[in-house]
Amino acid sequence: MGENKKMIQFTKWEIITLIGAIILPFIFDFSPYIQGLLIFIMLWVILGSSWNLLAGFTGQVSFGHAAYFGVGAYTAGLLYFHFKISPWWGLLLGGFVAVIFGYLLGIIVFRLRGPYFALGTLATGEILRLVFGEEEWLTNGHNGILYMTTWVSKYPYYFVGLALAAASVISIKIIMRTKAGFYFLSIREDEDAAAALGINTKKYKNISMAVSTFWAGIAGAFYMIYMGFIDPEVVFSLHNISILSILVGIIGGVGTVWGPAVGAVTMVFVQELFRSALFGLAPQWFSGLHALIFGVLVIVVILFMPGGIMGDWELIAKRFRKSTRAESEA
Amino acid sequence: MEIFMQSLVSGLLIGGLYAIIGIGMTLIMGVLKIINLAHGQIMMVGMYITWTLWYFLGIDPYLSIIITVPIVFYLGDGISRFLLHPLIEKDSILPENQVLMTVGIGMVLVELARFIFTSDYRSVQTSYNAKSVYIAGISLNYPLIIAFFAAIVLTGGMFFVLMKTDLGRSIRATAQDSDAATLMGISSKRITILTYSIGSALVATAGIFLLPIYYLYPDFGPAFTVKAFVITILGGLGSTVGAIAGGIVLGIAETFGATYISMGYRDAVGLVIFLLVLVFLPGGLKRFTKI
Amino acid sequence: MKKIKIILLLLAFGFVALSLNSCGKSETGPIKIGVLLPLTGHQANFGSMEKNSYELARAKINAAGGIDGRQLEFVYEDDTGKPDVGRAGAEKLINVNKVPMISGGYSSSVTFAAAAVAQQYRTPFLVNTGSVDKITQPEAFNLTVNDGAKFYIYRLNPPVSEYASGLEGLLANVIKPATVYIIHENTTFGTKGAKAFQKSSEKLGIEVLNVESYSSGTVDFKPILLNAQKANPDMVYMISYVMDASMLMKQAREIKFYPKLFVGAGAGFTMPAFKDNAGKASEGVISATLWHQTLPIPGAKEYYDEYVKKYGGDGPDYHGAEAYSAAMVVADVLKRCKGDYEKETIKKALDATDMMTVFGPVKFQSYGKKIHQNKMETYVVQWIDGTLKLIWPKDLANADVVYPIDWEKIWAE
Repeated sequence: MGENKKMIQFTKWEIITLIGAIILPFIFDFSPYIQGLLIFIMLWVILGSSWNLLAGFTGQVSFGHAAYFGVGAYTAGLLYFHFKISPWWGLLLGGFVAVIFGYLLGIIVFRLRGPYFALGTLATGEILRLVFGEEEWLTNGHNGILYMTTWVSKYPYYFVGLALAAASVISIKIIMRTKAGFYFLSIREDEDAAAALGINTKKYKNISMAVSTFWAGIAGAFYMIYMGFIDPEVVFSLHNISILSILVGIIGGVGTVWGPAVGAVTMVFVQELFRSALFGLAPQWFSGLHALIFGVLVIVVILFMPGGIMGDWELIAKRFRKSTRAESEA
Repeated sequence: MEIFMQSLVSGLLIGGLYAIIGIGMTLIMGVLKIINLAHGQIMMVGMYITWTLWYFLGIDPYLSIIITVPIVFYLGDGISRFLLHPLIEKDSILPENQVLMTVGIGMVLVELARFIFTSDYRSVQTSYNAKSVYIAGISLNYPLIIAFFAAIVLTGGMFFVLMKTDLGRSIRATAQDSDAATLMGISSKRITILTYSIGSALVATAGIFLLPIYYLYPDFGPAFTVKAFVITILGGLGSTVGAIAGGIVLGIAETFGATYISMGYRDAVGLVIFLLVLVFLPGGLKRFTKI
Repeated sequence: MKKIKIILLLLAFGFVALSLNSCGKSETGPIKIGVLLPLTGHQANFGSMEKNSYELARAKINAAGGIDGRQLEFVYEDDTGKPDVGRAGAEKLINVNKVPMISGGYSSSVTFAAAAVAQQYRTPFLVNTGSVDKITQPEAFNLTVNDGAKFYIYRLNPPVSEYASGLEGLLANVIKPATVYIIHENTTFGTKGAKAFQKSSEKLGIEVLNVESYSSGTVDFKPILLNAQKANPDMVYMISYVMDASMLMKQAREIKFYPKLFVGAGAGFTMPAFKDNAGKASEGVISATLWHQTLPIPGAKEYYDEYVKKYGGDGPDYHGAEAYSAAMVVADVLKRCKGDYEKETIKKALDATDMMTVFGPVKFQSYGKKIHQNKMETYVVQWIDGTLKLIWPKDLANADVVYPIDWEKIWAE
């Protein structure tokens, strides 16, 4: 991609964020508990970015991303379970297996549009969950797969997760500056018009799906490696994976490169803030409300910030910048 | 043969129950053009109200319809008026914002229920709970028979309302083309809000009929939400007759799947039919029934 | 691009605040031990019974002077019945609450997943209910049976493969069924329990007609029951949690399915909530159990009475007794640590455990592929006139087994 060299340009703040994320663990001495939260943030950055490419940029709102997450996780898990091959190889392979599944399921779901696409993807995710639960000979069924993780320390996982998360965000940043990226947007805005203009919508939807499912599969494989335990109900969960990855995108900002990252940080932080009962300051029963408050947050964001934090930030920031510039000029 | 007949009858009866759950969803999807992912959760709310009335005041679950249904109707009214309808005017990148709003609403309803009632299982014990009649060795469970007839009455009622009343015509007009309906002097805001409320009231009714057969806990909604849109897609958007047909087809298919394939794949049967209909029979059974 | 700066600041603030949360441990305050249980979710029924029993035991221990003058405190973590949440809970107990030992563990899959965490952090984990065999098999954790010194998992309750050992006695000596139909929940506990009972059946010469699974929360069990009815087995063996157990029995009664025996594999079938929900249809059902309040074990009856006095209701079943005894083992182990409440000291004390509890004698042994496993008898109970009666072994029973059973009569309104 010689011609695209300029496309890998980063703003000052992007570089600072990345460096900040790398040196963060060296500044603070985090407890393993907080390290765990940081790793979850990375996981959600990958998964949120994955969903965002297909839904936010290409307009194909998937309600079944757990299918690809789960397939990636099971690729890593089953390699270990059946052949005692380290799940780290699965990290390499998980993304590609998910792409294959994505292509096959795409044959069905890409025939559908709008809410039907959403329902179709939801059904594929649910069917995979049931199949992986029932076919015990292949998947060990509901017993799940246990793997004694490589390191007790969490820092290695943090850096692996960070590298993957950064790679996923950067890959999407690059794609969105190529021709394919512009075609994605035109498909999102009006698929028929895009087709009328001569864009091969089927091809570009499949490309978007391939990149998206690749990262979802990688996220799944990383989950297996880090958590050391998967079962179908966990990795194919409609609510805890498919819908949460949508919410990460929505809160952060649909169709923005950094939106899922901001959404991931916000979601993990808010959930944990209330789960820990405001760091133990509030009475214990308060922690029972964490999911409730997260639900309220979702409602508030959709009602008042339909573009998400990043999407609407531009407007707020513009206004903010204008007023400060006016002040300095005066 | 007896197994076949009993499976058929069981599937038919369960199908009636599914149909009531589906009717509300088909109306909402038909008019609002959104997937209501809070459907099962609204049913759960209706069931908790019914359970509370039974547990503390000893009101028979079927009798509580007159209290539960209006409450849930106004809950639906509030949700659509203050949370869903405002989104139509908002500019957003994805048209699915309303769907995602229903996810948020569903989460809040579940967590509120958990906060008030805890996660314990609740069930109502009535004299007719486990009663059955037997015809030619085939058992017919009372609450299921009642639910089945309720499904027919509700479908008939909704069909009449949609076809013969002004309100029904307005709803159908909005479902077909809301812009044209607005030009004809129909307030699409009023109709969408009303449709969501009616849909909520219907699914609350379904909950009341389910309660004597099943049990209740905060997380049980999503499984029924999935069934509701399987039925809706099967029957065709906005079609009440389609909903009862879809409900019965789903009920029978699930029961036969469970009897003759494997109990573990019971839920998958419905989902596979759903995908097949989506892809090969867009519009669902409505293509044959036309209404 | 001020947004990222602000977000970074917020983040930094958040993490500083979070780090403040983890405080050091004191030398005079209460001794904190972690307990992992399903307090919400579809196993909350069991979790709350076990938590009540832990609290009952704690009150008793502390009233008697605590542990060397210090109070004992249990830090509960809710696993919600999900393995991933259970793992996070175990990690939190170890890393945030800094407990030197974990107890509890309800469902098989959660307990197994959480055990791997405890093992990794070298934190002793006293399992009191999670029953899948591999929990005390070191090979599942990449160790061998000779690695006792490196293996941190201990289990008070018998593994699921031994649940039916008492039942085997009853079947072999009294009832002698020729055929069995197995119905189980499609979870680890369910599938492993079904496999174990297939082995038992082979040993007893009972023909297994079919094994069928279902997923928890099913509304309509008739298809599975109809197939069973058609197969006409002498007995139906079911491995289910409490609400599914109730639904199964209610619908079996509805379709007039009358085999010679309905047998449950413990879990849901001994719970008071089973009788409440199944109503008449619970009558006559037999179940394997690990404990009964009328057993001639010192303290068993007292525990049962105290529980009923404090929490009301129908009283605890074996799950409560397991939890209560686990709490007593914890106290005994800590006392033997003589003030040094470090993980390794606790582990050594656990190794040396040899005590009597309301659940029976507790001593962690090695046999077969298992190590750190407490060996014990199991029993058989039956719902007779709305109460759970101990019917086997014969010399301990407080009621005669009702057999043959006239279902028409006892299930009549």
